[in-house]
Amino acid sequence: MRKMNLHEGIPARLVLMGCALVMLASADLRSAALMSGMVLLTTLLSSVTLSAISKFIPKGARLPAGVLVITGFVSLLDMLAQAFFPVSANMLGVHLAALAASPVLFWVGEGAEDQGEALAVRTALTTALFLAAATMVCALIREPLGCATIWGHPIGFLENVKIPILADTFGGYLVLAVVVAILNAVTAGKKEAAK
Amino acid sequence: MSANVIFGILLAGILSNNYALVHFLGTGTVLDNRRPWKASLILGLGTTVVMVLSTLLTWPLDHYLLSQAAYLQTMAFMIVVIFVVALLNLLAGKLLNGFCKADFMKFAINGAVLGLCIRNTELEFGEAVITALGVGLGFTLALVLYSRLREQVWDEDAVPAAFRGLPISLLTAAMIALALLALKF
Repeated sequence: MRKMNLHEGIPARLVLMGCALVMLASADLRSAALMSGMVLLTTLLSSVTLSAISKFIPKGARLPAGVLVITGFVSLLDMLAQAFFPVSANMLGVHLAALAASPVLFWVGEGAEDQGEALAVRTALTTALFLAAATMVCALIREPLGCATIWGHPIGFLENVKIPILADTFGGYLVLAVVVAILNAVTAGKKEAAK
Repeated sequence: MSANVIFGILLAGILSNNYALVHFLGTGTVLDNRRPWKASLILGLGTTVVMVLSTLLTWPLDHYLLSQAAYLQTMAFMIVVIFVVALLNLLAGKLLNGFCKADFMKFAINGAVLGLCIRNTELEFGEAVITALGVGLGFTLALVLYSRLREQVWDEDAVPAAFRGLPISLLTAAMIALALLALKF
C-alpha cells in the first residue's frame, strides 16, 4: 500500500510525477476542475479494473495491458468532456488525451495490480484527491492573480495589478513550488512536534 | 522544404517549443528522473527514436485509416507507441546488453510521445517527422540538463529548509523554462 500521510511530509514522488497535470490545468479554475475530475475518475476506474483482472494477465504483459486499460478510460472520458464541457476541454486540448500516458496513472495502476479492489480504490481516491487539491489551490492563486478572472468572470479591481506571467508556464512552476514549500514548512513543524 | 525551414523547426523543437519544459508534456517523466546524466542521455535518445518512429506510423494511420473514426485516435496511437517501445526495448536489451531493459518501457511511454503524435497529425508528413526529431532532441536536452542541475541543487545546504527537494527542483525547471521561452522566435 502506498502510504500518503501529510503529517509525514509531502509525497514528493507523487507531486513530481503529477506536477505536469497540476501545472498545465491550474492556469484556469474551469480547466483545473475538469482535469481533477478526469484524474479522479480515471484513477478510480482503472485501479478497480486492473485490480480485478490482474490475475488473468501474464506478468510480462502487465505494463502494456495497464496502459491500454488506462487509455480506454481516458478516451471515453475525453469524449464525454468534449461533449459536456467543451470550453474547458478545448483549453486543455491535447493534454486531456495525453493523460493516458501520465506516470501518476501508471504508478497507481501498477500498485492496484497487487492490491484487492477495496485497497486499490482507497489508494486511487487518496492520490487523485491529493492531486485535485493541489491543482485547485494553484488555480485559485494563478487565475485571479495572473488573468484577473475567477471561473472566467473578470475581477475589476485586480485588472491593473495582475501578473500575466503567473498564468504562463513559468507561473505554473513558481506557484506549485511556493505551495509545496509552504506545505513543507507546515508539515516540518508537525513532524518535529510528533518526534 | 528549404534548409532554413528544417533548421527552424528543429531549433524550435529543441528550445522554444520544448515539450517537457514549456508545454508540460512528459514533464513528470523528466522531473522524476533520478538517473545520472549519461543514462539520461541514452534514454533521451531512445525516446527520440520512439518519437520519430511513432510519427512515421501514426501520421499515415490517422490520415488513411482513422479519418472516419477519430474517436479511436488515442487508443490506436497508444497501441502504436507501445509496439514501437516494445520493439526498441527488445533491440536495446540485445544491443546495449540490457542497459535499458524494462526501465525503458516505463520511461518511453510518456505524455510527450503521445501528445506529439496527436499534434503532428495537423502538420504535413515531412514537417511532422522533423518536428518529432526536434521535439525528441529537446526532450533529451531537458533530461540531461535537468539531471545535471538536479545533482547540484537537490538537498543542498544553501537552500532554505522549506525549499529543499521538490520546490527547488521545480524552481530549477522554472528557470530553464523561462530561459527557453526567451528564445521564442
